[in-house]
Amino acid sequence: MAQTSAQKKGVGSVIWEYLTTVDHKKIAILYLIAGGFFFVLGGIEAMLIRIQLAVPNNDFLSAGLFNEVITMHGTTMIFLAAMPLLFAFMNATVPLQIGARDVAFPFLNSLGVWLFIFGGIFLNLSWFMGGAPDAGWTSYASLSIASPGHGIDFYALGLQISGAGTLISGINFVTTIITMRAPGMTYMRMPLMTWTTLVASVLIVFAFPPLTIGIFLLMFDRMFGSNFFLVEAGGNTIIWEHLFWIFGHPEVYILILPAFGIFSEIFATFARKRLFGYSAMVFATVLIGFYGFMVWAHHMFTVGLGPVANAIFAVATMAIAVPTGIKIFNWIATIWGGSIEFTTPMLYALAFIPSFTMGGVTGIMQAAAPADYQYHDSYFIVAHFHYVIVGGVVFALLAGLHYYWPLMFATMLNEKLGKITFWLFFFGFHLTFLIQHFLGLWGMPRRVFTYLDGQGYNAANMISTAGAFLMAVAVIVLVVNIIMTIAKNERVGMDPWGDGRTLEWSLPLPVPYYNFAQIPLIRGLDPYWVEKKEGNGKMLPSESLTDFHMPNNSILPVVMSLGLFIAAFGAMFFPDGKDWAIDAVSGLDPKPWALPVLIIGLGTTFVAMGIRSWKDDLGYYVKKEEVEKDLEELERGGK
Amino acid sequence: MAELNQEHMTKAQKEYLRKERTREMRQQLVSFGLMIFLTFIAFGLAALEVIPAQFTIPIVIGFAFIQVILQFYYFMHMKDRGHQFAKLFMLTGFYFALAFIVAFIYIVWIGAPVN
Repeated sequence: MAQTSAQKKGVGSVIWEYLTTVDHKKIAILYLIAGGFFFVLGGIEAMLIRIQLAVPNNDFLSAGLFNEVITMHGTTMIFLAAMPLLFAFMNATVPLQIGARDVAFPFLNSLGVWLFIFGGIFLNLSWFMGGAPDAGWTSYASLSIASPGHGIDFYALGLQISGAGTLISGINFVTTIITMRAPGMTYMRMPLMTWTTLVASVLIVFAFPPLTIGIFLLMFDRMFGSNFFLVEAGGNTIIWEHLFWIFGHPEVYILILPAFGIFSEIFATFARKRLFGYSAMVFATVLIGFYGFMVWAHHMFTVGLGPVANAIFAVATMAIAVPTGIKIFNWIATIWGGSIEFTTPMLYALAFIPSFTMGGVTGIMQAAAPADYQYHDSYFIVAHFHYVIVGGVVFALLAGLHYYWPLMFATMLNEKLGKITFWLFFFGFHLTFLIQHFLGLWGMPRRVFTYLDGQGYNAANMISTAGAFLMAVAVIVLVVNIIMTIAKNERVGMDPWGDGRTLEWSLPLPVPYYNFAQIPLIRGLDPYWVEKKEGNGKMLPSESLTDFHMPNNSILPVVMSLGLFIAAFGAMFFPDGKDWAIDAVSGLDPKPWALPVLIIGLGTTFVAMGIRSWKDDLGYYVKKEEVEKDLEELERGGK
Repeated sequence: MAELNQEHMTKAQKEYLRKERTREMRQQLVSFGLMIFLTFIAFGLAALEVIPAQFTIPIVIGFAFIQVILQFYYFMHMKDRGHQFAKLFMLTGFYFALAFIVAFIYIVWIGAPVN
């Protein structure tokens, strides 16, 4: 429970603390570690792809293995790296930015992270258990039903488990932001990071159910003998494409909106100016979120929806450029005339504007449906979405890592190494992906494991691979930086960047487990800045110093997630050798233990849910005396 | 966790609260009665076949729509204050669901009918 003194704790108790924690700051660290691990894993897969494609007729990877690697690269990067890393920063910042002591449902927060971790582990176990999924990250049903073995089952079950975690976290953030803002923190005073988190969480709430349904249908087809996507039995594989993209397009906004939020904070902080056009930024964020649901079929222009459907979705897609453009111009206007400080996060933010805009422009090119017939399934598409996802989301993750590192760990990452990482990554990124636009226009299809000599692709692919190695070196420098920073452990004090504007920087570092001794009173946009300029630089309290309530730790989220993890193995091996099963698995050896494993796994989860439901857990009170002692210590340490 | 505030109410406040609750109860009962009545009519129309089927279908769908609104607004408290976000979410959800259904009917099952 309460660990305020600097006592040394055993390794076991630290691990137990993290397994059972419901503290949003520790859950943020869990998301960061797990997401970082999967980011490196996805990066290694990317390197394998680029090594294979460096020279024509290469046999570094076989064709089948290449399919598995590209599928796992995409799936890992989207679901297991980018989203969890964004959740890490959301968890680390949002409750602090709105002046809350924790999220609305701390237990669910913990459940969300453990479902994601177990889902991610399950998906990656496929490498050791007979082959990874190989139908692309979109897993179109015509491919995924035919894919032999259990690869696709790992995809379906792994994403179902981690997707449930994401949905839970989304609901949690919506509730937290709506109900737990400090007095004076009106909607139009919320920092952009909080706003984008709110909109992204709303998108999660609306977008994940279609994915869940789609994956359930796929699971039923592959594991329990239904016929949703089996064309010979009257099914329709196009339904999967629609369900996937009804989820898939909002998904990319779920990724990019928090990235916009991180950059908005960084621009305002390091230009030392209020964010330009705050209300327009909020409006644009909400509008992008809304449009995100109306454009899914632009991923399916070549399916044959007909000219009218294509035209409607093309126009809707182009409309998204308007709010996004508003944002780009507002960021430029924010740095315009500001007193700019070129820190590592600011470098990423400045590089983000042109990089992301280039990705946006190619997006508008593809929105023109007739032109898209030319770009479709070529490297032009690969270049486009890497420009928006790497140039937007990954830049934001790296920027956020440097920017929020002191908030999460009370130390500073080395600026010099950070800048080396930035320049290597920036050049590597453009070297890798700029040339891929041209590769696509020259006719190189995506998702091919090799190409012939003499087609004019050799030099461009070699350049692309060289860029990928630069990015790999950049990540290695970053890892060295992190290890050095942790080893040195030089603590920093309050407001380490010196120009913090929002509420989270007004807290002592490391942030006490209860966040705020007294919930602060918010007097304007950028509340900490307001107090610096108009007050004495300290937040005013909105309540007297009293006992307050905090939630208890619990191991149940881990047990629930573990139960689903076990059940997934049962479900996966259930159809093996059954005569009603699809061809992909009906020839495998029957596994009579599959059904008991499924029942045991689900039983574990339900028992844990029952315990949670019927056993009251009322939490505990933090005593006023303890908080007073902490404040005194802080006063002495600060002098 | 918020402590329960057990402050004493004045007589006027108590009376106001009682009046509010009476009004709430009356609304609940009226909407409940209305919904049963609508269900009976819909059932009767379908069972007795007094009017042709092509009229019965839109009428029944119309009654269903009214019932949904009564349900959400009176039984699930969407009419009350402090439910703006719930309302926004439900309406957005309805809108998206409707868009998806229309899209599915027209471009998946019927297949490009506007060619």
